[in-house]
Amino acid sequence: MNTDPNRSTAALPEALLTPALWDVVTRNNNRALRLTNELMQVHVTTSDGDEIHRYVVRPNESDYMWTNWYLQLTNFKDMYNQAEALNNNTYMAMGLICEVYVTSLITDTFGDVPYSEATQGKEGIYQPKFDKQQDIYLDLFRKLEQANTLLSTPTALTEVQMAVEPLFGKDINNANTNKTLASTLTTTAWRKFCNSLYLRLLLRVSARAEANSASKMAEIVSNPTKYPIFSNNAESAIIKYTTVVPYVSAFYNYRVFDFSGNNGISVFFANNLNTWGDPRRANWMTLYEGAYSGIPSGYSRGQVPERESAYNSALMNDPMLGNIINYPEVQFILAEASAKGYIGGDAKTFYENGVNSAITIWGQTVPINYLTNPALAWNSGATLDAMMEKIHLQKYYTMFFTDFQQWFEYRRTGHPNLPKGPGVENGGNMPSRLRYPVNVQSLNGANYSAAVAAFGPDDLNTKMWWNK
Amino acid sequence: MNKIFTQRIKAVRCATGLALFVCLSQVPQTSLAISTAALYQQPLQESVTVSGVVLDDADGQFLPGATIIDAQRKVLGATSGTGTFSIKIPKGTSITITMIGYAPVTRTINTDGEKLTLRLKATENALSEVVVTALGIKREEKSLGYAVSTVTNKELTNAMSNNWTNALTGKVAGLNLVKSGGGPAGTNKIILRGENSLDGNSEALVVIDGVITSSSSGRNTGTGSGAYLSGDSPADFGNGLSDINPDDIENVSVLKGPAATALYGSRGGNGAIIITTKSGTSRKGIGVTINSNTSVDMISRWPDYQNEFGQGDQGQDLYYSYLTTADGASTRSTSSAWGPKFDGQSYFQYDPLTRTTSATRLPWLAYPDNRKDFFQTGNTFLNSISLDGGSDKGNARLSITNLQNNWIIPNTGYTRNTVALSVSSKLTDKLVISSKVNYTNKKSDNLPSTGYNNQSIMYFIRGMVPNMDINWFKDYWLPGQEGIAQSRPFSSLLDNPYLIANEMLNSSDRNQVTGNVSATYNFLKNLSLMVRSSVDLSYETRAQQRPFSSNKFATGMYRSQNIYNQEINNDFLLKYDNKFLDKFEYSVTLGGNNMVNRYIRDELRADQLLYPDIYTFANSRNPVVAIPNRSKYSVNSFYALGSLSYDNFLYMDLTARNDWASTLATPTSSDNISFFYPSIALSAVLSEKIKMPDFVSFLKLRASLAGVGSGSTIPYRTAYAYDPTLFQSSLSNPGFIANSGLKPLRTTSKEFGLDVRFFKSRLNLDVSYYKSNTYDQIINSPLDPASGYSSVVINAGEIQNSGLELQLTGKPLQNAKGFSMDVFGTFSLNRNKVIELEGDLTTYIMSTGPRGTVEARVGGSMGDLYGLGYERSPDGQIVYQDGYAKLGTNTQYLGNTTSPYKGSLGANFRYKAFSLNVLFDGQFGGVAYSLTHSVLAEEGKLTKTLPGRYNGIIGDGVVLNADGSYSPNTVVAANTANYYKSHFVRDNVESNTFSTNYIKFREARVDFSLTPKMLSKIGVQRATIGVYGRDLLIFTDWPSFDPEFGTIGAGGEIAAGFEVGQFPPTRTFGLNLTIGI
Repeated sequence: MNTDPNRSTAALPEALLTPALWDVVTRNNNRALRLTNELMQVHVTTSDGDEIHRYVVRPNESDYMWTNWYLQLTNFKDMYNQAEALNNNTYMAMGLICEVYVTSLITDTFGDVPYSEATQGKEGIYQPKFDKQQDIYLDLFRKLEQANTLLSTPTALTEVQMAVEPLFGKDINNANTNKTLASTLTTTAWRKFCNSLYLRLLLRVSARAEANSASKMAEIVSNPTKYPIFSNNAESAIIKYTTVVPYVSAFYNYRVFDFSGNNGISVFFANNLNTWGDPRRANWMTLYEGAYSGIPSGYSRGQVPERESAYNSALMNDPMLGNIINYPEVQFILAEASAKGYIGGDAKTFYENGVNSAITIWGQTVPINYLTNPALAWNSGATLDAMMEKIHLQKYYTMFFTDFQQWFEYRRTGHPNLPKGPGVENGGNMPSRLRYPVNVQSLNGANYSAAVAAFGPDDLNTKMWWNK
Repeated sequence: MNKIFTQRIKAVRCATGLALFVCLSQVPQTSLAISTAALYQQPLQESVTVSGVVLDDADGQFLPGATIIDAQRKVLGATSGTGTFSIKIPKGTSITITMIGYAPVTRTINTDGEKLTLRLKATENALSEVVVTALGIKREEKSLGYAVSTVTNKELTNAMSNNWTNALTGKVAGLNLVKSGGGPAGTNKIILRGENSLDGNSEALVVIDGVITSSSSGRNTGTGSGAYLSGDSPADFGNGLSDINPDDIENVSVLKGPAATALYGSRGGNGAIIITTKSGTSRKGIGVTINSNTSVDMISRWPDYQNEFGQGDQGQDLYYSYLTTADGASTRSTSSAWGPKFDGQSYFQYDPLTRTTSATRLPWLAYPDNRKDFFQTGNTFLNSISLDGGSDKGNARLSITNLQNNWIIPNTGYTRNTVALSVSSKLTDKLVISSKVNYTNKKSDNLPSTGYNNQSIMYFIRGMVPNMDINWFKDYWLPGQEGIAQSRPFSSLLDNPYLIANEMLNSSDRNQVTGNVSATYNFLKNLSLMVRSSVDLSYETRAQQRPFSSNKFATGMYRSQNIYNQEINNDFLLKYDNKFLDKFEYSVTLGGNNMVNRYIRDELRADQLLYPDIYTFANSRNPVVAIPNRSKYSVNSFYALGSLSYDNFLYMDLTARNDWASTLATPTSSDNISFFYPSIALSAVLSEKIKMPDFVSFLKLRASLAGVGSGSTIPYRTAYAYDPTLFQSSLSNPGFIANSGLKPLRTTSKEFGLDVRFFKSRLNLDVSYYKSNTYDQIINSPLDPASGYSSVVINAGEIQNSGLELQLTGKPLQNAKGFSMDVFGTFSLNRNKVIELEGDLTTYIMSTGPRGTVEARVGGSMGDLYGLGYERSPDGQIVYQDGYAKLGTNTQYLGNTTSPYKGSLGANFRYKAFSLNVLFDGQFGGVAYSLTHSVLAEEGKLTKTLPGRYNGIIGDGVVLNADGSYSPNTVVAANTANYYKSHFVRDNVESNTFSTNYIKFREARVDFSLTPKMLSKIGVQRATIGVYGRDLLIFTDWPSFDPEFGTIGAGGEIAAGFEVGQFPPTRTFGLNLTIGI
């Protein structure tokens, strides 16, 4: 009686992974287009009423990501629990890695957020308390350690599980007739994803001594057996979009106009690539009167420029847009860590690996003498700030359409150096975060108030723990 | 007596005359009425046959159902549907023709074969009007403690509409139709006495001949796409309610409050619309009625388009160029009209012959009718024939109706065939078996897509610029690329409207059977049992196809849905009535019901095709995606009604009902499924006992108190389960948390009423005041998503509706020469108040528009509109920056989307064979957001965007100074396009929100009925020819098309508040011919 014939009362962990990860990445893409790419001058709207490029971010922008990140977090945590009941190390680890990935996005976007009590509505916690970002980060590191350990003794994936694993399994399964080997390759790929993500997050909080980032990064880099990380582009964690529903990109149903009609490539974005003669321009943008050219961001109200180059419409279905974290980004992370002395190795090598692989990952060939261009060439004698600018300008392009990473890194480092147009508001300050969603104030009021009291005012300019 | 607005049906009284509750709804009136006629034959006396026709003295209309009795009040017969009778009686019998609401006429019959024409005069005091109440029980109106409004067939068919429910507008105080306006099917949502349900389920129950259809054939199934830029576009496929043939409806009884509907139990909490279809009447031979109706629909209202400036984006007002020419870069692809003025100059423009830039510069012209020319005159042909007849042993009626509709958009419309059968047979003196069955097939090759999206026509129409000729779009394929590439000479965003109309099809084929079989056994004169089984089934196959090169589906699309709705009800009613102590009468009714509702919707999708123009699943490029959905729930009930009256002036009803609802059960427990609720209603006809002033001819007071519980009609919310997803072998945690402890919601209502008639009933006033509170609604209460879920299913909230309803009827003029005038009016006022939500929850979002939300906030009303507005200075002036209006950052209250005040005024003039009816109605006090207005204003298409072109404009408002003070704005906004965009950008919900007040000239009809003398010459019994008009004029400030609208959502729901690419409204002119043979 009253049993739902449309739904199921039990779920295997592998059943939960694909829809949840797909949801997170496609929604990240969606907001990368709407928020990150406007704030970070990838493109500029030609609709005067959209003012994100002027640093006007209305409160209603917050709800979309908050809601969807947390809803999928429920699936990732459930996946861990279901796997734990089955003693399946591999899916426990996958659940942890995905949980860390999504939680880091939440806290880096908002600051202090519900964590320890989050996603327990089913257990009756409707109003979870907010946790300090520091506590969240330290616990995320613990979870990544745990995931890495679990994957050191992975549970072998069945062929059926391989076939529906969205990040690596499908491709590896198709490429390898030896299914035991295929399983090992897949679990290893997840382990590399785990530790690469670990590096990203360690670097993010590296300004805080209590995070102990430098020594941990050094430990990871010096012990690749225990902490394997991405070693080439093919190992990157990318959801590969297809044109077969539902395995499609965030923009599959967009008309070209919705994608690029009012979005003109910015001067900043176009001109750097022009200076470098960068081949990725062909992937990313259209020609305008025979050239790649952009329009200024932060223009004054009423002074709307006419769109020049726009996004290449092929991008809408480009498999590369499903990027979570890729090999070149890891190389730039290592370059910065090396330049700052956190780890050994040569920053130049990491940097150049990053630059080259960031081009080849888009299927392009690195032009001859590309790295000898003074605008690109690594100068080991330069100031740290100059090195940072060089690394982060490259990293900026590497994280094209990758959720909010460009914005997070800009907030952390101030790089790359973005021009500011005459129309920018908010005191000319890049927003430091998004406000908490408006409905959290009524739906979780007491905890919201406590969080604001501890964390700082709920406006765009309150700093994170990691860049306070 | 007024005919248009009376709360009366022309029904016979029961054989027992005074007994109140003998008339069982399931027993056709006439079979009871004539039951003793056959027994009356007295062989020793000479028999004579008398026949005749009974007419209303005032208008000469036939009076069906008048009863013929003798001096001993024995029923001898009744008049047929065409007012005729023929009886055999002993010579010298004195017969009396009686009819409720009319003075009886008596004749003594001595001549065999005598033919009579009897004209009955309406009585001044129609105290014995019979109305249909819950469960189809017929009651004397004066005995009721709650208001019932009855709408007769004539009122419904006066100015025929494709959806008969449109004809309820203006005839029932407190009734609110929310219209989808979504094309020819034109689904309406019927709300009585305001919305009370936070989950949007405030619709009235719809009961057809005892078959509850609202949750089965009356259910709307959406396409899964919303109205605003969704994956696909919704189409209005209609539902079983709109497809009832109005000619088959005898009358509609509107039960507005829980006291009236308490016997319907959980589903009657929002009031009920009780539809009784026609039955056969006792008569000699067979009555044949032919009805032919032809109507045309023409667009009645347009936005205020400008035709002074042509195509061009901001800053493109100095020249025009189709593609790049000697004059400059191309300006052809914008949908804006900020371009150059039509000033006699010439430019290189589109040449329809070469399909590219003209060889020479052509005169720069506007095509002022380019939008209108896309549409056509709609037409509807409705033809029906009905046969009816009956005897003392039973009766039957059969009708067949065909409807053909072509709507105002080319290649849209539908056909509908209906067969209705009503039979009743008296097998013995004690047993009557009857059945009513209605079969409908509705078929359409194409119903228009609605909303604001590529495949909707209105998206294209708003995108048209003044210098486009619609004829340039008629060849909708590019030459040589038929089926592959559409012709889009201007913006590539806009799908060609002829491609939309001819290739982007939404088809539907629905078969529906609604009917019941019942048996009534009269154990004693005052003890009867009725058992009934009723079924409502509909099966619909829908398909959507989109051709190659459409914006949303570049390689085509084909989808289909099979939708099965079923509800089966089995019930019984046991009735007993008697009297005691001379003046007391009572009746007791016991009943029980078992209901099972099923719903299956299976969808298949091929969202990319291999070859163009082949719409089969075999042509799918990818594996076909299947989306199954099914549900089932049931309710069992027992109920009782007790009625007590004293001396024909004091009346009391008591009802009690207990329901057991499966939707409250969990997979393992049925602890919460049972709930009980009672009602009491009192009525006192004071004028019977208290001496009134002379001018008061009748005074009745009524009061009622009722409770209704409901287990909701949404199953499966009591147990946690994973949702399927489209990904292979995958599941997802649900967005909501199930609740194993769900309780029923409760509604309590109080109602007080007054029915007073003055000046010998020349002026009648009926007033009702009500207050109803709904508690413990079963809602998906929103959660902070950090809990891992969007919502939890809980019982929560208190919503209060209180209001006043007035109905006025009068007969100011009536003279001896046969001229008469009736007037009638309604007025209603409803106040909705959100008293409580859950815990700290202060707002509940009911629907979301393109921008803005409709919310229920504690302390506010359901349907309050919130959205961004202008940034304003402390004294309320618009803040400008650089000459442009600034948009504020916080949402604000902008009004309520439900008009609290509604009223109507009508009149009926009669002179001999002619009659004229007119009806006006209006609504006041509500607002709505208009996307059409926003887009047209942003794109410079409205005349309001003309000022300032070429010269700039200074906005009326202030600027914020550096020191925080404000001073008047003096900056000229040089870019006029951006100036208007800064005002009317769609994010500015405030500037695009307008009053939905209107007054409509709703109905007009002129009838000419042939007199009996003329009829007898041509050998027919009845002939009426009528000319009518519907929705003739709209008086409103609404800037788009029609302030009376709703918008179809993804689930098929119709929401008020956000106008999203509405269709133009139409006015209808029709010709109606009715012949009775």
